[in-house]
Amino acid sequence: MKKLLKIMLLGCLSMSVHAEEAKLEKIQVPKDKPSIARGAEDWINNCLTCHTMKYVKYRDLLSLGIDKAKVDGWRGEASLDTPLTAQMPDAVAMATFAKLPPDLSLMAQARDGGPNYVYSYLIGYYVKPDGSVGNHIFAETKMPDPLGISSAANAAERADKQKTARSIVTFLTWAADPHAGERDTLGKYVIVYLVVLSALLYAVKKQIWSRLK
Amino acid sequence: MSGPIINWIDKRFPLTSFVKHELTDYPTPRNLSYWWNFGFLAGIVLVLQVATGIFLAMHYKADATLAFDSIQHIMREVNYGWLLRYMHAVGASAFFFVIFVHMARTLYYGSFRAPRELLWWTGQGLLLMLMATAFMGYLLPWGQMSFWGATVITNLFKVTPFIGDDIVIWLRGDYSVGDDTLTRFFSLHYLFPFLIIGAVIVHLVALHTVKSSNPSGIDLKAKDNIPFHPYFTAKDLYGLGIFLIVYSVFVFFIPNSLIEPANNVPANPMVTPSHIVPEWYFLPFYAILRSVPNMFGGVVAMALSVMMFAFMPFLDRSRIPGGARYRPIYRLQFYLFLIDMLVLGYVGYVPPTNHNIVIVGQVATFCYFASFFVVPFVSKMEENWLIKRGLPEGIMELMEREKRDLEARKEEQGRRKGDRI
Repeated sequence: MKKLLKIMLLGCLSMSVHAEEAKLEKIQVPKDKPSIARGAEDWINNCLTCHTMKYVKYRDLLSLGIDKAKVDGWRGEASLDTPLTAQMPDAVAMATFAKLPPDLSLMAQARDGGPNYVYSYLIGYYVKPDGSVGNHIFAETKMPDPLGISSAANAAERADKQKTARSIVTFLTWAADPHAGERDTLGKYVIVYLVVLSALLYAVKKQIWSRLK
Repeated sequence: MSGPIINWIDKRFPLTSFVKHELTDYPTPRNLSYWWNFGFLAGIVLVLQVATGIFLAMHYKADATLAFDSIQHIMREVNYGWLLRYMHAVGASAFFFVIFVHMARTLYYGSFRAPRELLWWTGQGLLLMLMATAFMGYLLPWGQMSFWGATVITNLFKVTPFIGDDIVIWLRGDYSVGDDTLTRFFSLHYLFPFLIIGAVIVHLVALHTVKSSNPSGIDLKAKDNIPFHPYFTAKDLYGLGIFLIVYSVFVFFIPNSLIEPANNVPANPMVTPSHIVPEWYFLPFYAILRSVPNMFGGVVAMALSVMMFAFMPFLDRSRIPGGARYRPIYRLQFYLFLIDMLVLGYVGYVPPTNHNIVIVGQVATFCYFASFFVVPFVSKMEENWLIKRGLPEGIMELMEREKRDLEARKEEQGRRKGDRI
C-alpha cells in the first residue's frame, strides 16, 4: 500500500504543467505609514496623470499623515472627498491608447502574484533589438515605460527607479486593502484571546470528563 | 430544572422534558473521538454565515452597476465591514472544509450504514443546498471570476434534453448573465440558508432517533453511553476554540489567500479571464466535468459524482461493523479515494492546456467512480476473508445476532404474505 501511495504521490509531483511565464521579483512591502505616505507621493507624481483610484479619496491621504498643504496642492479645486481621478480626460486616453487605463485601487490584489507582479511589471521594461520598448511581464501592455527604467543609463539610476517602483507598490498595496494594518493588530489580540479561551475550555473538558469512571 | 417560572412554562410547553430528552439525558457513546466534533462545528459555521450575511446585506447592493462598488464600500467605509466580509468569505471555505471532514468521518467509520441511511441522505441534501448557496453567493461580488463562473455553470443546463436553451434563459433571467441574474441569485442566496436551517433540524431529528454512531461501529450498551450535556457540550466547545483559532488565522492574516485575484477586477462580459477556476471546494467535481469529452456526459458525470455518496448504504455489503476500523481493505479504499480527490482537485485547478493533465484527469475520474462501483464486491470478499481470518469475539457475535434478526424478519414477512393468500 505504501509503495502504491508513494508512486501516486511521485506522479503528482512530477507533473510539470505550469506554462512558462516570466519569473516575478519578490519584494517585501513595508506597512508603516511613512513608507505608504512616500508611496502616495510617488504614485501621484508618476501615475495620476493617466490612472484613477476611484476608491481612494484625498481625505484618505490625510489619514496617512501627509501634510494638509501638500494634499491641498494636489486636489486643487476638488473637495477632500473627491476620489483620486486621472488628470487625462477619457477621450484623450481613448484616442491615445484605444482603451482606458485601468483603475488602480485594487491593482495590488488583482493579478496573480499581487504586489510582486506589479513591481516586476513596473521594472520589466527593456529595449528590444529593434529599438522599441517591451515588457518582460506583460508583453501586450499599452502603457509606455512610466519610470523610464528601460532607458536607465547606469546601475545607480536603475536602482533609484527600482526604489520608486517599490514605493509605488507600497502605496498600491495599502490602497487595495487599507484596513490591513488594523486587521493585523486586531488579529493578534483575537488569537491570544482564543488560545487562552481554548486552554480554559480544555481544562473544563478535562475536569468534566474526570467524573467518568 | 425547577422553579415557579419553569413550572409555569412546563404546563404549557415541554421545555424541561425537551432539554432532558435532547441534552441532559440524551445518550451519547462515550468513545466518540474528536472526529465527531465536526457536525457541531458545521452548525456553528452556519450561524456565523447567517449572522455576518445579514449584516453584509444591509450594505450590499444587488445591482450590476453598484455591486462591485458596494463591496468596496463595505471593505473601506463600513465600520468593521472588512471583518464582516472576510469572515463571510473565509466562512464559506470553512463550511466546506468542516462538511468534507464530517463526510469523510461518516465514510471512514461506516456511519451511513443501517439504521442511519436517512440521516446520511438528509446530509446529502444539505450538501447540495450548501453547494447551491455557495455558488450563488459567489456571483454577488460581481468580479470577473464571479461573472464567468456563473456563466460557465448556468450554461451547463443547456444539456437538458429539448428545453436546454430555455432553461438557461430561465435561470439567468436574460440571454446572458446580467443584472437579472444578480438580483435573483441575491434573493436565493438569502433564502437558501433558511431552508438549510430547516433541513438541519430534520437532520438532527433523524440523528436523535437513531443516535450517534461510534468508532467501534457496535451499538453500545447503556453503561457505555453518557449524557450529551455536560460531557459533549464541553468537548464540542473545546473543539470550537481550536476551530476558531484556525478560522481567525485565515480571517485576520491571510484572508485573500482563498480569493482569486481575478475577482478583484469588476465583471466584464467583453473580456474572458485567461483561466476560469471555481473555488477550491468545487475543484474535484469541476475536474470530473472537464474530464469527460462530451458536454452532456460531463454534466451527468459531475452531478453523479456528488450524488454517489448517497448510494453508499446500498453499495457497502459487508456486515462487519466499525467501518474502516476493522476492515483493512475498506481502509485502503478510503485513503485511495482521498488521494484521488486531491488529484482531481489539482487537475481542476490547473489549465487544461497540457495533454498529460487531461489524461491524469480522465484516469482520476475513472478511479473516482470505480472506487464506488467496486465497493459491493470488495466489501463482500473482504468480509469472507476477515471471517476466515478470525474476527474479535464480540463482533462475530453481533453479526450472528444481526443475521438471526434479519432471517426472523424475513420469515415474519413470508408468514404475513402467506396469511394474505
